[in-house]
Amino acid sequence: MKSVMEYLVGRRFAWPHGLTVGTLTLLSVFLASAASAASKTLPANYGIVTTCGMVTDIVREVAGDKARVSGLLGEGVDPHLYKPTRDDVAKLLKADVVFYSGLMLEGRMSDTFLKIARRGASVFAVTELLDEKFLLEPEEFHGHTDPHVWMDVSGWMEAVKVVARSLSEVDPEHAAFYERNAKRYNTQLARLDDYAKKALSSIPKERRVLITAHDAFHYFGRAYGIEVRGIQGISTESEAGVADINKLVDYLVDRKIPAIFVESSVSDKNIKALVEGCKSRGHQVRIGGELFSDAMGKPGSYEGTYLGMIDHNVTLIARALGGEAPERGLNGKLAEKH
Amino acid sequence: MNWTELDTWIVITGVLVCLACALPGAFLMLNRQSMLGDGISHAVLPGLAIAFLLTHSRDILPMVVGAVVAGVLTAVLTQAVQRFGQVESGAALGVVFCGLFATGLILIRVASDRVDLDADCVLYGSIETAVVDVARVPRVALISGGLFLVNALLTVLFYKELRLAAFDPALATTLGFNADAIRLGLTLVASVTTVLAFESVGSILVIAMLVVPAATASLLTSNLSRLLVTAMLFAAASAVLGHIGAITLPGFAGRLLGHPGLGATSSAAMMAVTAGILFLLVWVFSMWRDSHGRPQRSTPT
Repeated sequence: MKSVMEYLVGRRFAWPHGLTVGTLTLLSVFLASAASAASKTLPANYGIVTTCGMVTDIVREVAGDKARVSGLLGEGVDPHLYKPTRDDVAKLLKADVVFYSGLMLEGRMSDTFLKIARRGASVFAVTELLDEKFLLEPEEFHGHTDPHVWMDVSGWMEAVKVVARSLSEVDPEHAAFYERNAKRYNTQLARLDDYAKKALSSIPKERRVLITAHDAFHYFGRAYGIEVRGIQGISTESEAGVADINKLVDYLVDRKIPAIFVESSVSDKNIKALVEGCKSRGHQVRIGGELFSDAMGKPGSYEGTYLGMIDHNVTLIARALGGEAPERGLNGKLAEKH
Repeated sequence: MNWTELDTWIVITGVLVCLACALPGAFLMLNRQSMLGDGISHAVLPGLAIAFLLTHSRDILPMVVGAVVAGVLTAVLTQAVQRFGQVESGAALGVVFCGLFATGLILIRVASDRVDLDADCVLYGSIETAVVDVARVPRVALISGGLFLVNALLTVLFYKELRLAAFDPALATTLGFNADAIRLGLTLVASVTTVLAFESVGSILVIAMLVVPAATASLLTSNLSRLLVTAMLFAAASAVLGHIGAITLPGFAGRLLGHPGLGATSSAAMMAVTAGILFLLVWVFSMWRDSHGRPQRSTPT
């Protein structure tokens, strides 16, 4: 029954927002009575569990070799629809630290994170310190924020800072190390942000329109001055109506938009309907390629990192809509020429 | 296999949910309404949308209330369509749940397209995560245990009425029971059970347990009380074997196919698959038995 004990006591009793010392002692006394040896120190090479790839990647960058980072969601998995298995939950329960994206991206799993935190693990949402002014929310529904903040690189730079701060909190000994890693990584992200601004503003003004399968690109659009039109709504249950498709076809034909895009984790049937619609009106629209929205590329490849994913999106969009960008992207590392 | 407390709670909760669903499921089958659960899994959408539009919240309480109302509405409307439209029960359910689901889609498209509001995101739980709880006994185990107790109690209390309404509605009416009222009561209880179970363990397990154990049991016996007990046995067995299968089979199959280190698969889905496999085995067994000279099954009595 070692594993039961492990999951009762084998982790640090830290609370993300700071429990008082008194409660902490009480809690550990209580748990120590439930199981004899309550250890409160973080083991060397401690375990961090994360949810989607974008979170896993920045946590890896900041944690470096000080922790084992393991992500729950693989490539191409839509976090809106992800269902955890028993092994995933067991992993979560054993983890010393848990990072998730937040803002309801993980749906009802958010309840589970809350409970795991209450049981004593250190659980952090990387979006928890984003300024309210940064967050996009529908006018009529206050508080139901668009969760796709990583699409604006400056937003994800804030997330990197949250990761560094959180890790310094649970492992103060290496605080300087985490801060240094975060700073170094954020310099790269700042370069990416500049590249995105430059590449996307080179697209002729009337063509700065991004049409994709679902509503994941609003932060992207705001940050880089591109008008974003999703075909279906944010919910995966949402469907595009014939009127929506026709309106978009009119728009594409009027503005002579040369390309629209499919996404790695969403079905492309609506996008194909658009292409057909434009063809029947004598306007050739091509599918500009596959964008990464809620999931990244293959693990181990450049596109399988957050940097590569955004570089891929930016380069693809800029070149397909008639802007200027190097065909292998910012770092010359993209697998395909765009 | 590395059995932990987590597995114990998944199995306990799974068994309780499966038992709670198998009981109304057996009566639904006898009334030819087995697909009620599937219908409700679609019909909750407008309930979620309206609850959200009224409260501007995606918290679990308004979502469950909305879903329960939609589920109850499905039961009532199906009965009404069947009775006044003179259609077969399956068709009546089809008309109602498609109508409700489509209404939900329109509501979402018109009113809240920038909020993620599908049942997967805001309503359906999953058995693996639901058993993680602060308290010693997870809330989800209490809910499913409560559902099972209430359903068992109702079955015992209304056994005679349910039986008559299922087999001989005309006789029931002559004897002074209102067969329609009893059937309505059954579908109402089944709807509430379904929605609460959705909230705890997700949709697929619930839909499967409303249908499959009862169908399996009906291959073996034609006596109602035996049917109920057998259905419950198969439901519980599916939960236990299903979870064991979910945590052992992927690794086993992975080693065979050269992909070692595969982790567990979805327990709820595996429980549903196990129920299907048990049905298949029993079906083969009953064919074999029938071909060996045992008298043919008569209709249940």
